[in-house]
Parts: sequence; structure tokens; C-alpha cells
Amino acid sequence: MSQIIKNVILVEDDADDRDLFITFFAHRKDIHLLPPVANGLELIDYLKQIASDKDLPHLIVLDQNMPKMNGKQTLSFLKSNERYAKIPAVVYSTYTDATLMIDCKKLGAEMVAAKPIDDEGYQKMMDEFLQIVP
Amino acid sequence: MNDLSERELIDEIERLRAQLAEANDTLEAIRTGQIDALVVNDQSGHSLFTLRSADRSYRLFIEQMTEGAVTLNSDGLIIYSNSQFASLIQRPLPRVMGNYFSDFIFHEDLPLYNDLLSKGWKASVKSEMRLTTGNKKIDVQLSLNILQMDDDTSLSIIVTDLTQQKDTERELTAKNDQLRNLNEALTASNHDLQQFASIASHDLQEPLRKIQVFSKFLKDKGFDQLSETSKGYVNKIFSLSQRMKVLIVDILTYSKLSANDTLTAPVDIKEIVDEILDDFDLRIAEKNAQIDVSDLCVVEGNRGQLRQVFYNLISNALKFISPERPPVINIQMKKLDPVEAGISSENQSKYCRFTVSDNGIGFEETYSASIFSLFETLNPKTAYEGSGIGLAIAKKIVEKHHGFILAKSKVGEGSEFSVILPLKQPV
Repeated sequence: MSQIIKNVILVEDDADDRDLFITFFAHRKDIHLLPPVANGLELIDYLKQIASDKDLPHLIVLDQNMPKMNGKQTLSFLKSNERYAKIPAVVYSTYTDATLMIDCKKLGAEMVAAKPIDDEGYQKMMDEFLQIVP
Repeated sequence: MNDLSERELIDEIERLRAQLAEANDTLEAIRTGQIDALVVNDQSGHSLFTLRSADRSYRLFIEQMTEGAVTLNSDGLIIYSNSQFASLIQRPLPRVMGNYFSDFIFHEDLPLYNDLLSKGWKASVKSEMRLTTGNKKIDVQLSLNILQMDDDTSLSIIVTDLTQQKDTERELTAKNDQLRNLNEALTASNHDLQQFASIASHDLQEPLRKIQVFSKFLKDKGFDQLSETSKGYVNKIFSLSQRMKVLIVDILTYSKLSANDTLTAPVDIKEIVDEILDDFDLRIAEKNAQIDVSDLCVVEGNRGQLRQVFYNLISNALKFISPERPPVINIQMKKLDPVEAGISSENQSKYCRFTVSDNGIGFEETYSASIFSLFETLNPKTAYEGSGIGLAIAKKIVEKHHGFILAKSKVGEGSEFSVILPLKQPV
């Protein structure tokens, strides 16, 4: 287990959900929340302006339903791009059915999760996400 | 004879000449078909000779035909017509003969007719076209055949009325169009259903999840500072939003059943039931329920869907338990032939009846059909949790598997649900 603090970026269009991320994770010592972005396009802009590869985030958390560029579309861009393909990317959504699971896995998502409804659920979800971060 | 005068001999020659001329005329008449029979006078009296080759019987036959028949000369003039053709074009027979056949062809089809006619003089041909009666078009088929008669060649045309056939074709086309439209409407409505499922799954669940999150916040933080009444409200909001979540997921499950899934995998019902009982482990222990499972067989179907059926039935049996006694649930199976199953014996496949019976609160027999309807709950929601969709889902799945589901019950004594499924799905 590495002791480096992991930089996590949330890609989420819903302001409430962005707030919940901060509320539940601000106190965690093992992660550092980067300022969230609202959709895939904003994420790509953000990643492009990072000059050095070592400054890229350790984990990308994607919401599925977003305007302009949704979770799956973002995933397919990231995983087909040499620079970003190695960054662990996970999808979390209000409703996760078999179709979404299979689609996301095919596109290269490391994990697919249902959005939790309480603190316990959020912490457990993040613990699981971090296990796939090298 | 020696004393016959020269005068007498000349008379005799004249008489024989006339006789010869008469015979020649008769022969000519026979050859050209002008007579059907002839009477010959000889020593033994009168003899009647009918001519087997005479065309009278053919003419009769042509008159009786349901098709029109005409004969054209080399100019295309009608030299013979049967009455059927005359009545087809609604003219008296005398006003048909002597006309050009082309006079009765619908003007747009004249090029087609002229082309057909020139081919018809060389070989037998057929074609569909339209005749006209002046104010009406008639769809017909024309069959042209060359007739070799004497030194003259004529052309016979058989005219088949296609009106009825065309009407049937038009009706068929109209029905096909109607069917296509209905199919399109059905596809559209299925698409709408999928859209609705998508809205139910995402757009409705998003705000609902937030209600759950924020009411949970209220429960977890600063709950103690709330008045007892307010605490009650928060608890209600939380539990109601949980129930709404179940409802939405169930609606989604129900709507997704319309999609085509494969139904032909072998499904071990015993395995499914064991899995479900495992899932209900806690509740079974908590309620001190006794569960008896007999031998269950393998049927063809969709595993996930059949699991849902038994899950819903067992869940109900564990839900509607009597407060007076510990629950006893029986899960049994019997193989049936089609007649026993109440199905026409035309269907040769074997059936299996699974029953899930309990000693719970039961329900009035009058509701045994309506409990399978969407949103039908017989009990107050506060006492027994549920969306009222479970049995509707079960019914839809069982019917998709070409089986049926029945309920029997007595209030206060218990219920019995029967699921009758074919062992093999129809190909």
C-alpha cells in the first residue's frame, strides 16, 4: 500500500452531487479532491493543460448522465488516448443496470458503482475505488 | 335398255350430273362446317349421318364458358364473339361483331394491345390489360391463339375477367398496408415504453436518491434536536422514499420484460429456490418459518426471469404471515400432461406445476384474478410493504414462458400459488 495521497477528480454535472463528494470526502487523509469538472469536455480541457504526466490525477470518477459528453463517451475517449489510458477511471450512476455495467467494462472502466445514499456507502465506495489505484 | 332413245340417254346424263353436283355441294358443306348432319337416301331407306367433327358442340361449349371468346380476322375485326364477351363489355351481341376489337380496349392500353396483337399473329401470347365499356374500366387477361381455317387465318382471343382477382389483390394490399401501419405503431409504442423505462430509471431516480440522501442527513445529524413530531416526519420521508425506490425498480423490471430475451436455456428450479431461500435466510430465521421443498425439475426458460417469479412468490409467503402461528411454506412440483394442465391436447408438450403454498393471512377468493394486476394490493400498505407489482411481474414472466399462474386462498388459512410451465418452450 502506497502512502501517497491520491488526487481524485470528479466529473459530475449535478451541483448537489459535487457538494456531497466534498461533504463526505473532505476529511479523508488518503485522497485529495481536485476541483470537480461538469462533463467530459471540461475534463479533457483540464487534462490537456497539465504539462507533466506525473501531475495527472490518480483516479477519475465519472458520472454517467452528463450533458455534452457523458460518462461512457468520456471513458471511450480516455481509454483510446495513450496519455490517459492508464489513469484508473470509474463510473458511478444513480441507476446501474446490466447494460451500463457491460458497456462501461467494455470501454475499459476499472469499476462501475451505484451512487450511495449515506456516509457509510460513500466511504465504502471510495475504499473500493482506491484499491484499483496503483 | 337397247330401245332407249338418244333423248332418254341425254336426260339420264343430266340427272347424274345434278346428282354429282349435289354430292359435291354436300362435301363442300361438310368440309367448311356448315352442316352438322346429313340424310342419305339409298335402297335401304333414309340414313342419318351426324358429323362428329362438326363444331356445333364446340360452339355450345364456347357459349357456356365463363370467359369471353372472340375471333378476329386479319384486320382485327371481330368476326365471332360469344355472349359472355358481349355481356362483359355490356353491349348487345350484334353490336360487338363487325367492330374492331381495339374499340373496346381502354385508350391508355392501346399501345400495349397493338404490340400484343402483332405478336399474337406469330405465336400464342398472353397479357393483362384493361377494356372499356365507355364509363368503366375492366381488368382482363387476353390470351391470343392463331386459328388456321381453310385458306384463311384468324385469331382467337380468350378474355378472362380479372375484376374479382384485382379487387382481392387491392384488398390484400390495403390489408398489408394496414398491418404495416399497425406494426409501425407498435414499434413506436414499444419505443415509447423503453423511453419511459429510461425516464423511470434515471430522471425519476435522481431526485428520489437525493431525497434519500438528505433525509438520511437529517436522521444522522442533529436528529436529537428535532421535536418528536418532526422526527416522525423525517422517518416517514425516509421510509417512503425507500418504498418509492422499490416501486421504480419494479416498474423498470416490468417494462423491460417486453424486450426479447432468450427463453430456451435449461433452468433448474430447485437451484433457483435454494438460492432464494439463502437470500431470505435472515427473514426465515427471524419469523421462525418452516420451509418444505420437494423435488423440483428443470424447465426451459430465462433463468433471471424465472428466479424473479419464485422470488416474488416466496417473498409474498414470507410477508403475509399470520400473527397466530409460525409460518409454514411448501414448495412442490408435479408433472402434468396437457389435458391435466387444462390445455388443448393438440399441444403435445409436457407441463410442470409448481406450487408455493403458505399458512398465512390469505385473501378472499374473489380477488384471485385481480391480484395479478399492476398496483393491486389487498392489504394496507403500512402493515405489509410492497409495490403491488410483484405478482404482475410474475404473471407477465410466466405468460411469456407460455405457461400460466393461478391463485387459491382462504382468508385466515393461507394461500396457494400455482405456476404451470411447459418443460420445453415452443420452437
